Amino acid sequence: MADLLELRSVSAAYGRIQAISGISLKVPEGAIIALLGANGAGKTTTLNTISRLVPVTSGSILFEGKPIERASSHAVVRAGISQVPEGREVFRDMSVAENLEMGAHGRNDRAGIRSDIERAFDYFPILKERIAQKAGTLSGGEQQMLVIARALMARPRVLLLDEPSLGLSPLLVEKIFSIIRRLNADGLSILLVEQNASVALGASSYAYILENGEVAVEGTSADLKQDDAVRRSYIG
Amino acid sequence: MDLELAILFLQQGLVSGLVIGSVYALLALSIVMIFKTSEVPNFAAGEVFMAAAYCALFLMVFRALPVWLAIPLTLATSFLVAALFRRGVLTQVAKASGSPVNLVIATLGLSYVLKGLVRRTGYGDTPRSFPALVSTDSVMIGQASLTRLDMAIFVAAVVVMAAVFWLFAYTKVGRSMRAVGMNPKAARLMGVNIERVHMLVWGLSAVISAIAALLIAPKILMTAEMGSVVTMAFAAAIVGGFTSLPGAVVGGFVIGIVENLVGLFISSRAIVVAPFLVIMLVLIFRPQGLFGGRFAIKKV
Ligand SMILES: Nc1ncnc2c1ncn2[C@@H]1O[C@H](COP(=O)(O)OP(=O)(O)OP(=O)(O)O)[C@@H](O)[C@H]1O
Ligand SMILES: [Mg+2]
Repeated sequence: MADLLELRSVSAAYGRIQAISGISLKVPEGAIIALLGANGAGKTTTLNTISRLVPVTSGSILFEGKPIERASSHAVVRAGISQVPEGREVFRDMSVAENLEMGAHGRNDRAGIRSDIERAFDYFPILKERIAQKAGTLSGGEQQMLVIARALMARPRVLLLDEPSLGLSPLLVEKIFSIIRRLNADGLSILLVEQNASVALGASSYAYILENGEVAVEGTSADLKQDDAVRRSYIG
Repeated sequence: MDLELAILFLQQGLVSGLVIGSVYALLALSIVMIFKTSEVPNFAAGEVFMAAAYCALFLMVFRALPVWLAIPLTLATSFLVAALFRRGVLTQVAKASGSPVNLVIATLGLSYVLKGLVRRTGYGDTPRSFPALVSTDSVMIGQASLTRLDMAIFVAAVVVMAAVFWLFAYTKVGRSMRAVGMNPKAARLMGVNIERVHMLVWGLSAVISAIAALLIAPKILMTAEMGSVVTMAFAAAIVGGFTSLPGAVVGGFVIGIVENLVGLFISSRAIVVAPFLVIMLVLIFRPQGLFGGRFAIKKV
């Protein structure tokens, strides 16, 4: 499989604080790749360098073989990389419908947008019932579904998912992950950031574990699940 | 005061208040729309208003351009200057420090620059009058008297307000402006070019200020200090909650009407304190403003 997205020893800093250094990873076409690590390990920063919210200090990011580390955030979305940020960043005072339309910001094909909204409701039927409701009044689980659905509205080729399970009940986590698998089966490549290592290793084919902004361990998810050291530190 | 006179004053106060209030409302809208998207109170709003009036005066009186050309040129110039200020100054200031205080100081800088420019041209040295585009014949509404010009001001202002609301509520560009105000990070992740949105908001805001200036200029004497009416617009914005567009409009009308009623019933010298009285009452009884919702929670 060709690599859709590749990071080659990418470093990024906030002012003088080095957040990630020399991170290399690959997201092959059609794969779910997990990015694990403790709080503050640099997972979100890694996604934000890809989404071009955080400047890259060295290294390069390739999407479909082309460097994007100097591109603007809107160019990256247009190219086919969407991020679902951690903490459910909905547009609180907009309706569910408007949130979904915001997801299609870079598109102008009205008919396609409408049919994609229907498709989103197919994945997340609850959103259809809430279509006119303000996003800020949705439950946490519904907001999580909304931000995923919203990211899909850009018709991405790669989805960057930041801790989709955070703060959700085990039942909801189950539900969200079954949808993630379904999206992947429908052809979407996914880079999945998680603290819930057992769920993430279950869903992914390959995983990277970050420690202090560097890749500490990597391997197939099946291997990492068996690895004693990994189990002790991350699955418990 | 007998009852008949009181009723007459009441009518006159309401009608005149709605006219001047519509201009305050436009200015308040222009302030609030910038604050909503970037949380920067634009302290140059008054000078943008003043400079736009002088720009139109210059084109029409000193260059003898026809109205149909002078007005679009004035609006386009206002748009460009404000959008470029956002791009060339505020963005750089934000990059350099990120502290909102510096952005506010930059808007103060713009206000001095605009005032200085107008003074330099010399046109601002003596008070000037702006040609009225609509006759000043008087019309009666009930027992209140006002001029055709007043009616034109009110109608034009309301049309502009309706257009602004339509833009924000129903167009894609308006939706992205709201998105940037609500959650700039999420907006960027949706592929919104935030810098462009900020430029558009500043440009649009300046166009609205310029329209307010063109509407009111024939009624007042123009001086380089005419931007001080912005105090009323800030009062209107505060009354409306500072983050609400409908609030800005209602606030504008409230301030306009109260000001006129105070002038008629108490004394014209009391007018200056009227807006502060209203602000105080609103802040005591409804601290978030008439239309302010989440103002307090938003930054937590
Ligand atoms: N905006 C910021 N300014 C300064 N430092 C930051 C900023 N965001 C993150 N950091 C620092 O960068 C490092 C990596 O943070 P990051 O958010 O990427 O971690 P994470 O792996 O996503 O953690 P979590 O699991 O808690 O979300 C941390 O040390 C953090 O304190
Ligand atoms: Mg994180």
